[in-house]
Amino acid sequence: MQLRYLETGARPAAFNMGLDEAVLDEVAAGRSQPTLRLYAWKPWAVSLGYFQGLNDEVDREACSASGVDVVRRVTGGGAVFHAAELTYSIVVPESHPLAAGSILDSYRSICGGLVLGLSSLGIPAEFAPLNDVVAGGKKLSGNAQTRKKGCLLQHGTVLLDVDVDQMFALLKVPNEKLKGKLIADVKARVSSVSAMLGRPFGYDEAVATFRPAFASAFGAELAPGQPTEAEQAGAERLAAEKFGTLAWTAKR
Amino acid sequence: MTGSYVGKGRGGKLLRVDLYWQDGRAERVSIRGDFFAHPEDGFDAAEDGLAGVPLTELGQVFGRQLEARGVTLFGLLPSDLDDAVESIVSSAIKQG
Repeated sequence: MQLRYLETGARPAAFNMGLDEAVLDEVAAGRSQPTLRLYAWKPWAVSLGYFQGLNDEVDREACSASGVDVVRRVTGGGAVFHAAELTYSIVVPESHPLAAGSILDSYRSICGGLVLGLSSLGIPAEFAPLNDVVAGGKKLSGNAQTRKKGCLLQHGTVLLDVDVDQMFALLKVPNEKLKGKLIADVKARVSSVSAMLGRPFGYDEAVATFRPAFASAFGAELAPGQPTEAEQAGAERLAAEKFGTLAWTAKR
Repeated sequence: MTGSYVGKGRGGKLLRVDLYWQDGRAERVSIRGDFFAHPEDGFDAAEDGLAGVPLTELGQVFGRQLEARGVTLFGLLPSDLDDAVESIVSSAIKQG
């Protein structure tokens, strides 16, 4: 199995989501190979799940004051604060072995790369259905999948470091009176690679760790590449006309 | 009339519902949360299709519309909508 491999560094939220969708469009059209992409976010961002309400979940004033982007994903799931993390996306046709079986099966297959990467660091990670990877009962990775145009798109994160207080300064909670308890719960349930290793673990080291881990877990050769002209143009168009617009971000 | 619900349904994920209704029928239903639905646009269409449906049949009709569109839910059950609607309507009745 061969996958095209893209490492696109830290980009704004609307571009990141635009490039994921543009790659899906090109893979669906048969013009690009199935693709694994590693990336990060600059500025930091909050991404909303497709079905979440913008004003339910996000303190837009706090995000604006902190220079944090807000974007709606095409995938479901919860709001994510993208700061010190490695993000990946994978796009394959639904006929691809990584998309085989049920949706749960494909989550498990793709998250296998994350589990292997964390295990290679000495972190005893495991897949936690439906869409998390945990170690010692603490979440280190959240993942979200959609299927469109005959392709699977899954993107997810590996928390390299986490500041739960900062996260909750940007996100709203269902019950303000219980915010303190919720923050304490999240601190107990979420960790990061840096915290588990007891040393700083940054983006470059994460790329060097997870690129071979994905390749090994998938039994795939990763062929380094760049976004095609069509993908680059598509990402810029989607950033301007979809992901960067209030009409999309405030869709719910 | 209008009302809102926030809670964890039996599907397991956080569910938020805004309900607008008149004479026992829904005028508009907004269903939000951190659940998953594949395909997403099938969910949108099923949600739009709830306008005009009797409140007592919302969960059942929602389930049928999702099924007709081949939508698979994770973290949400169609019957969670009934629980939310019941909670909203009960609150409205109590408030008179």
